[in-house]
Amino acid sequence: MKVLELNNVHKVYNTTHIEVHAVNDVSLTFEEGEFAAIVGPSGSGKTTLLNMIGGLDMPTDGKILVNSTDLSTLKSSAIIDFRMRNIGFVFQSYNLIPVLTAKENIEFIMNLQKWPRQKRDERTIELLKAVGLEDRINSRPAQLSGGQQQRVAVARALASKPRFVLADEPTANLDTKSTETLLDIMEKLNRDENITFIFSTHDARVVKKARRIITLEDGKVVSDEKRE
Amino acid sequence: MITKTAWKNVWRNKIRSLVVIASVTVGIFAGVFAVGVMNGAIDQRIDEVIDNEVSHIQITHADFRANNDLACNIKDVSRIEESISGLEGVQAVSDRLFVVGMANTASKSTGVNIIGIDPEKEKEIFGLDKELEPRTGEYFGDPDREELAYIGVDLAKNLNIIRYEINDKVIGELKSAELPVEIISEIEKYSGERFDNERSFKKAMRSVLSDKNESEYGKLIMEKSQTFRERAKFTLTFVDSHNQQTGGVFRVGGLYNIPNSMFESTQVFVQDRILRRLIEFPENTAHQIVIRLKNVDDTRAMTRKLRNDFPGLEVLNWKQIQPDMAMMSDFAGVMYGFFMVIILAALAFGIVNTMLMVVLERIKELGMLTAIGMNKKKVFRMIMTESVFLSLTGGVSGMLVSWIIIKLTSTRGINFGSLQEGFEAMGFSSHIYPEIGVDFFLIVTVLIIITGILSSVYPALKALRLDPAEALRTE
Repeated sequence: MKVLELNNVHKVYNTTHIEVHAVNDVSLTFEEGEFAAIVGPSGSGKTTLLNMIGGLDMPTDGKILVNSTDLSTLKSSAIIDFRMRNIGFVFQSYNLIPVLTAKENIEFIMNLQKWPRQKRDERTIELLKAVGLEDRINSRPAQLSGGQQQRVAVARALASKPRFVLADEPTANLDTKSTETLLDIMEKLNRDENITFIFSTHDARVVKKARRIITLEDGKVVSDEKRE
Repeated sequence: MITKTAWKNVWRNKIRSLVVIASVTVGIFAGVFAVGVMNGAIDQRIDEVIDNEVSHIQITHADFRANNDLACNIKDVSRIEESISGLEGVQAVSDRLFVVGMANTASKSTGVNIIGIDPEKEKEIFGLDKELEPRTGEYFGDPDREELAYIGVDLAKNLNIIRYEINDKVIGELKSAELPVEIISEIEKYSGERFDNERSFKKAMRSVLSDKNESEYGKLIMEKSQTFRERAKFTLTFVDSHNQQTGGVFRVGGLYNIPNSMFESTQVFVQDRILRRLIEFPENTAHQIVIRLKNVDDTRAMTRKLRNDFPGLEVLNWKQIQPDMAMMSDFAGVMYGFFMVIILAALAFGIVNTMLMVVLERIKELGMLTAIGMNKKKVFRMIMTESVFLSLTGGVSGMLVSWIIIKLTSTRGINFGSLQEGFEAMGFSSHIYPEIGVDFFLIVTVLIIITGILSSVYPALKALRLDPAEALRTE
């Protein structure tokens, strides 16, 4: 089943003197349950593409359809709501709320969606177990290692059962062991819960695990390779 | 969750938050305590006006107040008094004669209002009998002695009835009061001398004391040096009901001391029966009927009723007789509120500054929150709640500190002794008992919340203008 479709997407930044094509005529389709990596050198347009897929930025031209909904037709408040219900985010620098515990960080989105307490608690525990941090439920981010923080961030991204998760360089700040653990967890969640994961990365360890590798260069897709 | 996060955010940078909280605490304490002192002073002044000077309601002939003409009097007073006494809510009623005249001693004379009263009935209405200056006699101690008058300390000073003398007894008392030896030795230069009035005594003291010593010990030296001859004679002269000049010799039966020096220096109380005889005034007539109510809150309704019952007479309540007090009583709340608004407006700048720093420090986090689905309304609410918590924490601690200090000072009072003359010239006591109502704390709480909300608007709008993609790139 198709969860995401990009049709001739362009993103042009107008600087003082020249136009910069950050994303240039990209057309892609993502099916449910994909574990895809977008790779490419710095400045190739990976983060811009991911931001547009996530509705954080709008294409200059072309269409992005999430579950057949054209993001460009939504008002800014509707996009925020749409993101909350359909898209999970994992950031390079974890971006957890430092004053909240692991549990509170995970249930933050569920709270925004006004989930009942019991349902919230069950989902939080389930996710903490899935990322192997059930014993750190009341730890604050400062009390967790980088790898553990990123695992909490993954759990938070999955909290409201999104259609897909966008992860921008999720392993960039992690050591080898933490990267392995995180990738194993994400792969397992991808398989068990059939959640689509789309990464931007230039980490070979992530690329090795990905089942689809999209390579960008100067904003254009130069290869789109699927593996079994 | 937003409320919980906002509260936790307050304590993210403890030092910075505590500095803001401390400044709000100090500001609120200063404001509330100052209001407590002002409120205490005003309430004391109002009590003083009602208890010693005016009572709740006064009835006079319709033209009496305008021209003080003795002929403008109330007839059939006993019937009117009886009818008023029977009304529910009336505590006591008394009638008075009121004559304008001169008080004279051998060396001084001054204009006064001579008020003829029934001393026993007056005690049920006024508290002047309790304001007797110690060691100056009694409040109409001997009812058979008609010539006794009850006058104010300031009038006694003006008439040179109170004098000042440095003698061995005074020196001994000053030594017991542990006055520094060098000051006593300076004062002793005037030993044996008597001063007819306050001014000449002060002049003499200034010649031997430094400004500092005078402001520190002057009041004590003056109190100890005061001499008063009990039952000193003075004359009262006035015009009788036939417009003939008349008068009588009176003796000071006792001196009253109240914070209102104007009242003290002009109001002379004598027994009704002697004044009535001297002005040749018929029985069962009076110039003024004074009424004390059981509850001050009934004043307005009772005034209305009495106006209906006695249409030919002028019925005024204390607010109408003393419009300055009415203004203070009615507008004090507005004045206090305005005062607090000014303080909070100043504090708001500090809160705005802190909240701006908060937003600028958390640009990335705010970008993340918007990215994961926190809408603008909720972002605004979170920043606003944080600002309200910050203000309210300081505000509550400020109110708590001021409540404790007001409680501690409300029983003993605060003595502004060095400013006594100035306070009393305005009719206020220099010994103030601060007090504040619970309703004022509620108003301040609401004002603090409003300050917190308003202080958050600009920083929150700044947060709303953030582009999440841009914000997430911030380091």
